[in-house]
Amino acid sequence: MIMPRGQQLLLPANPWFIFLSLLSAQLLNMVLNMVLVGNAAWAPDFLAVVLVFWCVHQPQRVGIGVAFFFGIFNDVQQSSLLGQHALSYTVLGYCAVLIHRRLLWFKEPSQSLQVLPLFVLAHVLELLVRMLSGSLFPGWWMLLAPVLEALAWPLVSVLLLAPQRRAPDPDENRPL
Amino acid sequence: MPLGTIERKPPAFFKHGMSSLSKLVVFSILAVVLMVADVRYGVTQPLRATISLMLYPMEWLSMRPQWLFDVTGRFFEGRDDAQAQVQAMTLKLQQQALRSGQVEQLALENLQLRRLLELRERLTSSTLAAEVLYDSADPFTRKVVIDKGALQGVQPSSPVMDDAGVLGQVTRVMPLVSEVTLVIDREQSIPVLNARTGARGVAYGEAGGAPLLELRYMAANADIEVGDLLTTSGVDAIYPPGVPVAVVVKVERRAESVFARILCQPQGRVQGARHVMVLEPLGKQVPARPPHERPSTLPIKGGPR
Repeated sequence: MIMPRGQQLLLPANPWFIFLSLLSAQLLNMVLNMVLVGNAAWAPDFLAVVLVFWCVHQPQRVGIGVAFFFGIFNDVQQSSLLGQHALSYTVLGYCAVLIHRRLLWFKEPSQSLQVLPLFVLAHVLELLVRMLSGSLFPGWWMLLAPVLEALAWPLVSVLLLAPQRRAPDPDENRPL
Repeated sequence: MPLGTIERKPPAFFKHGMSSLSKLVVFSILAVVLMVADVRYGVTQPLRATISLMLYPMEWLSMRPQWLFDVTGRFFEGRDDAQAQVQAMTLKLQQQALRSGQVEQLALENLQLRRLLELRERLTSSTLAAEVLYDSADPFTRKVVIDKGALQGVQPSSPVMDDAGVLGQVTRVMPLVSEVTLVIDREQSIPVLNARTGARGVAYGEAGGAPLLELRYMAANADIEVGDLLTTSGVDAIYPPGVPVAVVVKVERRAESVFARILCQPQGRVQGARHVMVLEPLGKQVPARPPHERPSTLPIKGGPR
């Protein structure tokens, strides 16, 4: 794979770490919804961010299928329409796989600008599905959700890439 | 370079599986099929129950921070506070003891009088105490999740109330938890009785998403005033009669409409209830409706051929 000049060679990603990061994103969503903000429409969906992240960085491991199944789980947890998040995550995964070669040539802030339309698309898709099934509009605050997700992108990138940025040959000066 | 530094397994050269586009199409169709099965046919309940059971440990885990907060909060509550509370409670209990003694007697008297009048005994429903775990995260509906499920004997369509009034109705039962649709949900309706005039109506959740109820289809000149108490009417064979539902807060009589726009404030704490009661739906106790008899048709002239 052709890489931008000066970029650090990363260690291989641990599949268990990928799985655990997805689970903890789901857990974070649940804590956010159950304890902190209730059913606020503007609450960012961290699972979507982490899914897009892994679809971009490890498209061989995490793809559309994984996104679909996590979507089903999210639907049951949020007691929304079964298949609503599955659909939006499927589209999200597809778009992430589409842009994954181009995206990694940019720095994190510009990356988050480029993933913003993806999150907007996912939320619009969910809104569309729910409006078609006859639910009420949850308010304009929901426009904030994709923006917050895009803002979380650099943070998530740093956090999830940290294990892969460790030194390949740890010694006393570089224990990690 | 040490081993394990780069991916050891090169990506497959020929075997790539399905292309992204075909995956997108397949999974999107699957999602749409699931949604149709969920909304139109309602056949996805077993799948939901299974996944809900798998998610339960995570839900339990994510409730821990709040639990810890509550516990430490209670720990630091002063001892004096606790003692004052106990005293107040004892006083209240003594005051109520007299009344509760009377209640037994009144109930007995009532029973005898009813028997005398050959009325059927007033329906009583068994109750189940439950705790609200959290508001469901879906911003499109108004639901809460309670900590009792099918294993504890919750039945779908059971009414749920708190000490102040009706909260809503159980709309989905999972093995360990259940979902309660609140009366302020737009798609939830509840038959009510105006306690002042005795007029019956149906209240719906407010369409704009405010935590209010809307009494629809009342004529613009109907006798209804701000402050009227709406209680359950009991004609639905689900809610027990006489439970407070809402109080009218706004009556808007519009010239262009045949119906008045009536907004009501729910009496149950729809936004902050903690401890609730799940009642058994009354329909189980009401005798079954007599079989619908087809109107006997006149015998065909000439008889069967």
